[in-house]
Amino acid sequence: MSDDTDLARLRSELRAWLAENAPRGWRAVSNHAAFAEAQRGWFLKLLEGGYAIPHWPAPWPGGGRTLAEQRVIYEELARADTPRLLLSFVSTYHAAATLMECASDAQRARYLPAILKGEFWCQGFSEPGAGSDLAALKCKAVRETRSGGDVYVVSGQKIWSTMAQYADRCLLLVRTASDGPKQAGITFLLMDMKARGVTVRPIEQIQGDEEFCEIFLDEVEVPVADRVGEEGAGWAVAQATLASERGLTLMELSYRMRGALWRVSDLIQAQGKAEDVAVLRAFGALIGRVDSACALADRYLDRRMAGEERVGDASLVKLTYSRVLREYARLGVSIGGLAEQLRAPITFGDLNTGNWMADYMNSYAWTIAGGSDEVQRNIIAERMLEMPREPKGWVA
Amino acid sequence: MGGMSIELSELRDAAQKAFPADHLAPPRDTAWGAMAKMGWLMLPLSEDAGGLGLGRAALATIHAEMGRMLSRAPLVPALGVLRALESGEALADRSQWLERLATGEYIAASLDFTDASPGTLRAVPDADMASHVLVTGPGLVALAPTADATLVETRLWDDTRRLFDVTPGASLTVVARGAGAEAITARLREDLMLGIAADALGGAGAVLAMTVDYLRTRRQFERPLAMFQALKHRCADLKTQIEAAEALLLARAVEGARAQDIGAMKALACETFRFTAEEAIQLHGGIGLTQEHACHRFMKRAELNCWLAGSADALNEAAGRAELAG
Ligand SMILES: Cc1cc2nc3c(=O)[nH]c(=O)nc-3n(C[C@H](O)[C@H](O)[C@H](O)COP(=O)(O)OP(=O)(O)OC[C@H]3O[C@@H](n4cnc5c(N)ncnc54)[C@H](O)[C@@H]3O)c2cc1C
Repeated sequence: MSDDTDLARLRSELRAWLAENAPRGWRAVSNHAAFAEAQRGWFLKLLEGGYAIPHWPAPWPGGGRTLAEQRVIYEELARADTPRLLLSFVSTYHAAATLMECASDAQRARYLPAILKGEFWCQGFSEPGAGSDLAALKCKAVRETRSGGDVYVVSGQKIWSTMAQYADRCLLLVRTASDGPKQAGITFLLMDMKARGVTVRPIEQIQGDEEFCEIFLDEVEVPVADRVGEEGAGWAVAQATLASERGLTLMELSYRMRGALWRVSDLIQAQGKAEDVAVLRAFGALIGRVDSACALADRYLDRRMAGEERVGDASLVKLTYSRVLREYARLGVSIGGLAEQLRAPITFGDLNTGNWMADYMNSYAWTIAGGSDEVQRNIIAERMLEMPREPKGWVA
Repeated sequence: MGGMSIELSELRDAAQKAFPADHLAPPRDTAWGAMAKMGWLMLPLSEDAGGLGLGRAALATIHAEMGRMLSRAPLVPALGVLRALESGEALADRSQWLERLATGEYIAASLDFTDASPGTLRAVPDADMASHVLVTGPGLVALAPTADATLVETRLWDDTRRLFDVTPGASLTVVARGAGAEAITARLREDLMLGIAADALGGAGAVLAMTVDYLRTRRQFERPLAMFQALKHRCADLKTQIEAAEALLLARAVEGARAQDIGAMKALACETFRFTAEEAIQLHGGIGLTQEHACHRFMKRAELNCWLAGSADALNEAAGRAELAG
């Protein structure tokens, strides 16, 4: 009972705060520089209000929220149609989790406060030759003593790095040894994106955005002090980074999708289809699916908190969200009809914008990135259902 | 189902002990007797009324277990009716009625939500063993004795269920009137939807487990079939759909959940079972088409569940309308 009152109070406080502070007109932003500024501004504003990092532990401002409180915050942020913090996504989830779980005290003391000052981070894992098979990465790092002190000299190429063009720092996976099992030669570095030898080239995407980039590294010096974990232990650190992407983020995104169902309602009304039984049925079926994605994300987090997480649970959540997101966008495209084929300006950084073709194209971000749907299915089949792996050792 | 409270997992374990998975569809009357003995017929009854006072989450747990083993006993309508009578303000001798139900007397209710044939209740489970059927109408909930009703058994593909068309006679015992009756009818429908949905997801979990086991043991091309990724991915998708629907079932198995949300969940659960059973037969190959193998029994039960306690079309349409209005 008192729990419910606390949540109700949080909800009404947040509503009042949002009425004062929620940014307006952010959908109209049409270039990335302005987008990046707006994102930073909104992040700092949320931080000041105590709502930016509810998933961080208690001493941090606005941290230490219960799951139920986090749920309320995400719901209200979505309901008020505020921008999702796309540019702080890697810094407040991936980087924060990596630093909190695996970094040294000195690294934590230096980088966590910087994140809260509004630093943006990017993730430099994938390479042209290392996608689903991430451990095949080749970007090479050699340890040397140079004028700048003990450094890794890094050369190679990264790809698909989201918003790297605005990033201050990069979570970088490099190869420090090429003999032995491929996972064992991987090392985890924190790289300054302004360092000499770093070149970023944005990639044009199908929805007209340039969300991800190539990163070319030409003898970039990264201080050894910026290595997380031991040399050759980067694979385990990377698992902590990747695990943070699931769970909480998917709860937030699922509830955001729930909070955005009004866009489908509006579309149905606008198309004069409020009495179209086939449309109503499809909408009802989607509601069940969206609600099931929320319920599954909730249950996953409850299990995690209780120490009852099963191998593969995170994959169930990710695969469910990615499929439901596709269904959500797909339904909008089909209800909208020909009108949706007319190209409309896109909104940066949001997955449920009501520009249905753009949303549809953006939904691939979740079926491909962070371990594709097919990779999740492999994990669920092999690790949960205990179906055997294929034999290794294929030769061309 | 995992991630549940101790109370619920104890209930589930007791159910699995009483009705082991390797003994599908045990005879109805012995199963019913065992259920009465274990106190299941008074599970949801309040403690004041001598029951166990367990809520909807417990009912979902039990009904899922009954779906898993293809139970023939009409526990879904029985427990719905029990809750209905408990709230029946106009029912004379209410405590005696409840005691009779708790100890094994069965009162049936229709699982047909279309109200297509006035005067006749369709899809009434196991009317042959019922003393009465619950009749609901505008502003009225009443009991009609089966002794002066006409019962016609329908033939079903699903051989784990028995359904009757029941035409009640003139004599009625009033349970509730007016707003009370409307509330009872609404809650009964929710209970029936939850019950069938839970039954469906229990069945889906069981038929998937059976399929995965089969693929792991059956060898073709010098390897277990389960090694083929084309089959693995289909099983992984089924597993994912079942887990998502189960999570939603538990989220909706609470007092106060809105009818349209329970309905959308029921539609999702039954579609999940239907598709899982469809895939199970395909993944078993020829053996899946035999009368001897259990696949077809799950499939037929899954198909029937889609039409009991509201069809997906009707429930999804209602959910869509409610969201548009809200
Ligand atoms: C929007 C977006 C943002 C991204 N952001 C980042 C980022 O910030 N940082 C970063 O490092 N990376 C990022 N990525 C990269 C992402 O992690 C990779 O795209 C992903 O791991 C897949 O690798 P790939 O593109 O090389 O596809 P491939 O691995 O070549 O896969 C091609 C197809 O084959 C399937 N496939 C592959 N292996 C198997 C298998 N074993 N069994 C069955 N099917 C298989 C895949 O599912 C896919 O359908 C991003 C990607 C996207 C789409």
